[in-house]
Amino acid sequence: MKRIKFLLFVSVLVLALGVASLGVMAADKPPVVIGLQGPITGAWAYEGEMAKQCCEIAAQLINESGGILGGRMVEVRIADDACEPKAGALAAMKLISQKDVVASVSTYGSSVCEPASNLYEKFKKVNIAYGATAVRLTERGLKYYFRTCGRDDSQGIFFAEYVPRVFGAKRIAIMHDNTTFALGVAEETKKALQPKVDAGEVEIVYYDAITPGEKDFSVPLTKVRETHPDVLYFTGYYPEAALIVSQARDIGIDCPFVGGNAAINDEFVKIAGIEKAKGCFMTQEPMPAELPYPESKVFLDAYKAKYGEIPSSPWPVYAADALNIIAYAIDKTGSTDSDVLAEYLRNEVDGVPGVTGKIGFTENGDREGVPYLMYVVNEEGNFEVYKK
Amino acid sequence: MRIFLEQMLNGLTIGSFYALIALGYSMVYGVMKLINFAHGDLFALGSYLGFTLLVWGNAYVTSHVGLAGGMIAAMLIAAIGIGIAGIIIERIAYRPIYSVGRLPAVVSALGVSIFLENIIMVIWGPRYQAYPVSVVPTLRFEIGGIHVTLLQIVILILSFVLLAVLYYIIQKTTFGAAIRASALDRDTAALMGINIETIIFFIFALGPALGGTAGVMVGMYYRQISFTMGWNYGLKAFTATILGGIGNIPGAMLGGLLLGVFEMLGSAYISTAYKDVFVFLILILVLIFRPRGLLGEKVAEKV
Repeated sequence: MKRIKFLLFVSVLVLALGVASLGVMAADKPPVVIGLQGPITGAWAYEGEMAKQCCEIAAQLINESGGILGGRMVEVRIADDACEPKAGALAAMKLISQKDVVASVSTYGSSVCEPASNLYEKFKKVNIAYGATAVRLTERGLKYYFRTCGRDDSQGIFFAEYVPRVFGAKRIAIMHDNTTFALGVAEETKKALQPKVDAGEVEIVYYDAITPGEKDFSVPLTKVRETHPDVLYFTGYYPEAALIVSQARDIGIDCPFVGGNAAINDEFVKIAGIEKAKGCFMTQEPMPAELPYPESKVFLDAYKAKYGEIPSSPWPVYAADALNIIAYAIDKTGSTDSDVLAEYLRNEVDGVPGVTGKIGFTENGDREGVPYLMYVVNEEGNFEVYKK
Repeated sequence: MRIFLEQMLNGLTIGSFYALIALGYSMVYGVMKLINFAHGDLFALGSYLGFTLLVWGNAYVTSHVGLAGGMIAAMLIAAIGIGIAGIIIERIAYRPIYSVGRLPAVVSALGVSIFLENIIMVIWGPRYQAYPVSVVPTLRFEIGGIHVTLLQIVILILSFVLLAVLYYIIQKTTFGAAIRASALDRDTAALMGINIETIIFFIFALGPALGGTAGVMVGMYYRQISFTMGWNYGLKAFTATILGGIGNIPGAMLGGLLLGVFEMLGSAYISTAYKDVFVFLILILVLIFRPRGLLGEKVAEKV
């Protein structure tokens, strides 16, 4: 009996304390908590680390300008997914189960994002990916899933706009390797070029696949050469890209070579050799240093002030924008309800200035008009933004 | 016509790789009645050996011996190295189980193949390696509208010289006659005073050496090598061997060259995506309609 009395006493005490602390917090206006799920540990830890720093800077900037919802601060709560699908599901559950987490920035890897976003969907929590670029992610008809980064194939849209305009290319050859990624980019390029083809401005003179792992491309390249292209766009990966460029030059294709963002890297330069690699182009997400917007400058200055240097990968800044847009939506709607937020993000957010440019979402939750840049391999084998 | 000639040239170039590798299969099969499945990986090992030599000797090659010297040195050393590897493999993996029968030897060959592939991966890493540009001739020119690289011509000439020398050894010398005799009937050849041990030693050194040379050539030609490359080339060269008539030396040469040309013309005029389909379709057709191959002699089944 004595024991029960004691227990009762303790529970009353705990309850009282709880109510008291609640009262204190209410007086201080509780922060709005936004989750960040990312690879804080594991092979991609540097990505997660930078994403965490980006979100913290974004929150800091919001808080310095007075917070949201009339003075409530934004707080970032981290969950580590180690870039593993299994850990990703646990990290998602961790954030979902904390009732004060309003929405989540989640996550970097596509294969991690897929199961995690299913959980967020099930428990009705808005989640915005910042590095998951696989096309299929937004084609599952999820209601609460968005992303601020582009899709694997959005560089095709950029190519279709940029190359005819800047290179003056009229005869375009497109080569892919039938992998989901490369075919996606190639299809998107073709689709985006279609209006210009219909208008008779450009012509797709070659559109075909090569076999990944193949070493001899003399036959498809001879076919390409006979179509006299103004530009050759290869959307596949670097092992083939390097051989294609090398063999194309050998059989007398001298037109500009443009690779997708999986085609051109340091290995590409090594395999193709600097002589043949220099002057090759690449459609690629801008590195943070090359973001041209006023918001990016403010953000990167604050980031540099705190961490010494700006992020070295294109992706972390998308995490900052994911957090920014969540905070923006909460502030504008005055609500932390998932349905209200999802509805608002999908239908009302349009052209909101962010670190990575104007933010808006399509019906599927994809980012509208993701920025891409044309990079070129310079004399030293490094990559720089192409300026005409 | 221009394109046809260009593709013929490309076809002959890769055909000569197939021919050089196919010789190794054919010689070993001829004498041992063993399909040496490790041969493709010996070829890959040769490619990596040449790669390492050229990377190490990069400065020396460019400043002292010149491109031609470097190329020949790399091929020679790779040939010797792979020849030795071939002998060692024969001692360790094949000799102890000859007496058991032919099937265990084939399984052992598959094991050696997997072993070599992984040893290459462990030593040189799983990533693609690239032959340095500075040690490979990069000159290219146009003859009557046909684009040719200097390297292509060098490779063609070198491999034809190698094929010719081997043809001479096998067909015109007493030692070649001994090899052919052993291929026809090992027991009778031994009774005639031919030292089978010497013959086996010779073919297990020479076959892999040719494969290793081809490895360096392929490395220079495409400049990109990977530890899994041996399997694909091995399979195609094996097909070439069947096409020419397994165990028959001139047949392997002819089969390799024909296969290269088929592969190129097929993918040029029918479809690029079906490139490998042509190769293995040929294998199936030959096996159905002419199992002894183009130049293979009809051998009565031993009962």
